[in-house]
Amino acid sequence: MSAKAVAIPASSARSSLAPWLFLSPFLICFGVFTVYPLIQAVLLSTQTTFGPGATRFVGANNFVALFRDPLFWKACSNTLIYTLGSIFIQLPLALGLALLLESPNLRGRSWLRLVLFSPSMVGVVFAAMMFGLIFEKRTGLLNQLLHGTLGIVGIEWDLDFGWLQQHVMLGLIVASLWMYVGFNMTFFAAALQNVRKDLVEAAIVDGAGPVSRFWNVTVPAIRPVAGFVVLMSVIGSFQLFELPYIMFSSSAGPDNRALTIVLYLFQNGFEVGDLGYATAIGWALAVILVGCTMVQRLLARGEEASA
Amino acid sequence: MSRADAPASDGLLPAWLSPGAAVIASLGVLACVGLAFAPTTASEGRVMWTFARPHYLMYESRVETWNKTQTPKVDLKLISLPAMERRMMSAFLGGVPSADLIEIERRAVSRSFAGPIESVGFYDLTDRLKQEGLLDAINAPSFSPWTSRGRVFGLPHDVHPVMLGYRADLVEAAGIDVSKIETWDDFARAFSKLQVDANNDGEPDRFALNMWETHNDHLELLLAQAGGGFFDESNRLTVDSDINAHVLATIVTWIAGPNRIAADAPNFSAAGNRLKADGYVVASFFPDWMGDIWKHEIPSLSGKMKLMPLPAWEKGGRRTSVWGGTMLGIPKTAAKTPEQFEELWKFAKELYLSQEFTEILYRQGGIVTPVKKHWSSPLFDEPNAYFSSQPTGRLYINLAPDVPHRNSSPYNTLAMNRVADALVRLAEDARRDKVYDYAALKDRARALLKKAHAQVADQIARNVFIAEPDAQSQAQLQSSAAGGGS
Repeated sequence: MSAKAVAIPASSARSSLAPWLFLSPFLICFGVFTVYPLIQAVLLSTQTTFGPGATRFVGANNFVALFRDPLFWKACSNTLIYTLGSIFIQLPLALGLALLLESPNLRGRSWLRLVLFSPSMVGVVFAAMMFGLIFEKRTGLLNQLLHGTLGIVGIEWDLDFGWLQQHVMLGLIVASLWMYVGFNMTFFAAALQNVRKDLVEAAIVDGAGPVSRFWNVTVPAIRPVAGFVVLMSVIGSFQLFELPYIMFSSSAGPDNRALTIVLYLFQNGFEVGDLGYATAIGWALAVILVGCTMVQRLLARGEEASA
Repeated sequence: MSRADAPASDGLLPAWLSPGAAVIASLGVLACVGLAFAPTTASEGRVMWTFARPHYLMYESRVETWNKTQTPKVDLKLISLPAMERRMMSAFLGGVPSADLIEIERRAVSRSFAGPIESVGFYDLTDRLKQEGLLDAINAPSFSPWTSRGRVFGLPHDVHPVMLGYRADLVEAAGIDVSKIETWDDFARAFSKLQVDANNDGEPDRFALNMWETHNDHLELLLAQAGGGFFDESNRLTVDSDINAHVLATIVTWIAGPNRIAADAPNFSAAGNRLKADGYVVASFFPDWMGDIWKHEIPSLSGKMKLMPLPAWEKGGRRTSVWGGTMLGIPKTAAKTPEQFEELWKFAKELYLSQEFTEILYRQGGIVTPVKKHWSSPLFDEPNAYFSSQPTGRLYINLAPDVPHRNSSPYNTLAMNRVADALVRLAEDARRDKVYDYAALKDRARALLKKAHAQVADQIARNVFIAEPDAQSQAQLQSSAAGGGS
């Protein structure tokens, strides 16, 4: 077939431009606010800077230094401990409370739901300050309470016990438990309402006990929501910043025991002013989160395939 | 869709505009009009930022007087320190205007010294200070936090010598003569008498000193007093120095073990204030600005407190230290012509160096001026009721020339944090292993400080802009300043 020039009518040219015209607001915003900053972030992570006027290319030095930096690994391990605490303490507790709320014999369901959910409406700053006071040495509520109650049975509780010095991560996990358990509970409660009643009744007819019904009917039904809640908790936990920052008066606590990845990023970028290094930490965090997401998706896919 | 399929106009809107789009467009237009005509609070004249409310209150009347009699007018603005630091650094790094005068605290300003010397966002005041004799007229150590690579970038606001404030009622009732206390060892021996176990639980209910391993400010002032610290005069890192190890080991003998004399009563907190009011700690560190805070936060101790010079680390040693510090700087973007610089410089001097301001600074904040010629004022001999009628101004001024020099490195805070980490670990290791022997503690402190030193050195090594230490220019400046003071 010989090539033959075909005159494109003006209206056809207009219609081929039309999709781009409609997409252009999004594409411009996406380019300016997402793609460009990402490219700049890649460049910045390979530089040492003091403002746009003073930059030096340092190649992969920031990343090499990061992997040799004991504080970065400490931040990673602290963040991991907090994340594990969130997943293995907070989520089972949230599921347990949701099951309790769904119990047909429960009285005051609405009131209990409000009580459990209300801490998540409180600002992180307020919660951090409140838990800072609770865990205070000598005058703190917890030490005073333990001193008073244990004193009754003759055990002398040390009022100088430093919760926020020796048990930093425990303090953070407890504070976040109070704030977020009710929030996660609402996801599980919504998922539990969608468990098919006919399957539950069929299981009862087949003689399945409560534990068997929970593992074989409830858990498979709420698995997609549980996967979502786990993923959101992991991402939220890896971004932990405000709670330790406020609780430890803008520091990382004694001996950096409250140092998290984002807090370390903040310290380097905005306190030391080493933006290149801070960006390298940001990329490391992004890689960790992408890894977590992929693992979660692979696990979910594996479960779907085996179902 | 053909024209025939297009929705027909309902008469109010054209066919091409849906009701939803019309609402959004109307809101957009309204928002634009609202913004265009919204009242703006444009600053009149030059803008000055300050970060502390007490400073703002002190300057209000001074600025008002200036604005009535002088030009250009100055608009004083109070901004929180973290916000000011971010805005200032953003402006400096981006080369865009910020305020015309910035009053800023020691730790916050040091970040502006992290780049090449020509990139520092403040005017270099060194030559002007020399020309006008101000390097000699102002207490020499007060320049050190604003001096980078031998150049001075700020006018000092204060000296902030540190004394020891103690519960005179308790100390005098116990028959302790503080005039006989010369060293920290003397202090520990004398004040340990006050540690009583009133409720018989085996633990004292009162401790001699307010100090704990988590009190970074106290640690820093003790290191400075001993002659230690994080950098030497040539900007060399000295985190792992022998003197730092000595201070850390000694502090641990104070806060842990059988000879414990110190306890934790945090500053600036209700819990800490209650402990101080209850007499849980007898003595606390008192820079000149602290007295005013105690007056407002712990009024119940009025007339029960007294000040004494800090015990020295060795006989004949330094009896004071330093805590805090503020400067006033002129950003380079604020003055584009020499005339504009002169206007701002005139205001800065009028604000900080006048006799009137000296009085306001002392009366409202308890702060002694760094301007040496004002030190002879009878103002500083007035009795202070809170401190059992002691002439506290004079006590601080007597110590002012001995205040230690400090380094302006942008890595000071980082170094301090690493040294503080070392102290926390040293104290916890001591408690865990029950090893309170000074020599053993010092060995362990050396090892921990070596690690801390390496961490800070690694971080500094990443900054390619900090040039080699300019020891010569630094030494020249300091000898010039010290010479003027003699």
